[in-house]
Amino acid sequence: MTIQEKYKARVKELLSTGAVKMVIGYKPGSTAERRRPLFMRSPEEADQLVLDTACIANLAGYLVAEGLLSDDKRVGIFLKPDGIRSINILAAEAQLNIDQIVVLGFDIDGQEVNALEGESAGDFSALIESIKDHAPEAPRNPLIEQIEQMNPIQRFDFWQTEFSRCIKCYACRQACPMCYCRRCIVDSNQPQWINTSSHTLGNLEWNIIRAFHLSGRCVGCGNCDRACPVNIPLRLINARMGQEVLGAFDHFAGMSETQEPVLASFKKDDSETFIL
Amino acid sequence: MSESFEPKIIAFVCTYCTYTGADLAGTSRLKYAPNVRIIRLPCTGRISPMFILKALQQGADGILVSGCHPGDCHFTHGNYHARRRWMVFRTLLDFTGIPSERIKFSWISAAEGHKFAELINSVTDDIRKLGPFDQYKNLIRETEAPATL
Repeated sequence: MTIQEKYKARVKELLSTGAVKMVIGYKPGSTAERRRPLFMRSPEEADQLVLDTACIANLAGYLVAEGLLSDDKRVGIFLKPDGIRSINILAAEAQLNIDQIVVLGFDIDGQEVNALEGESAGDFSALIESIKDHAPEAPRNPLIEQIEQMNPIQRFDFWQTEFSRCIKCYACRQACPMCYCRRCIVDSNQPQWINTSSHTLGNLEWNIIRAFHLSGRCVGCGNCDRACPVNIPLRLINARMGQEVLGAFDHFAGMSETQEPVLASFKKDDSETFIL
Repeated sequence: MSESFEPKIIAFVCTYCTYTGADLAGTSRLKYAPNVRIIRLPCTGRISPMFILKALQQGADGILVSGCHPGDCHFTHGNYHARRRWMVFRTLLDFTGIPSERIKFSWISAAEGHKFAELINSVTDDIRKLGPFDQYKNLIRETEAPATL
């Protein structure tokens, strides 16, 4: 039995026994290599389910849709390890009750899709632990090294060129499972912190603040990067900030549902070499 | 860069330590560079990264953020939170090309009037050497230009 058939049977079982009220998975998208989220409420709907190497989107963000979890019923969801980290963060930030989530874990390894053992987010803690341990030696994006080699003027120019394409569609925000604020800082106009116009200054400010709000929270799922219609390498900034919080505070986002958010906690001996 | 360039520096300070330190510098009749505009806030923990971006947006050449020494915070740990935030924000600004030499952080207590005066002088000198933040100012000018089709 392929993993897809195995999981299809599992979804049908979950839905027919009433263990969950909904399962969030994938179905075919508009092209052969695209997948679309599938919200299954009845066992019959599970027939459309697809699970293959094209299922790369992180679906965790759908869990915080208004009212979905407010009836205390459980919801099943297909998640890769990054998605499991996402729901840990959402739980740590009190956005959802982790006991309501049934995880249908899978991982993509090259051309293979493997099932992950476990049902609740806590069952994957050993897996996430090993991802954290391997994070420092994981291959860095060569572009990050390249940007760091530049002098500030070149770096500013590099990002200015990238950000000048931004059309402020906020697709990066909509696609991100961590951007759940009902009122985003760019939507606040008293005071108006960030220029709303899509000129380069406004774009720069938006992207800096977006990256700052994701520092220590981003799991690198790449949803923002894929959603960007003008291909700004948003993932680079997020990855760089992830390295920073790991190096400076030994913080790896999404370890458990009780992990303290990195910027809402502190240690008395945090590094402060830069302070005069 | 012309010889007469005088940088505009915005200082975000906490009212309990650095602002009182600045007061002490004043009452002690210490002279320091007039380039700094001080903005008083309740705590360094109240200093949002938005303030720093806003100051740059308004044409600042340099920014100073200053508050109580660790352990001295009036609210017990506002400055510890602030320290983490700056560490991260500083890296982010650096990675996006806003030179970290333009954004300075310091701890100045209410008793350190001298340190305040010296710091303002040295920060002003440093920023003067760096010159105006032309790259950012070009972006600001672009926002004021009429839209092109």
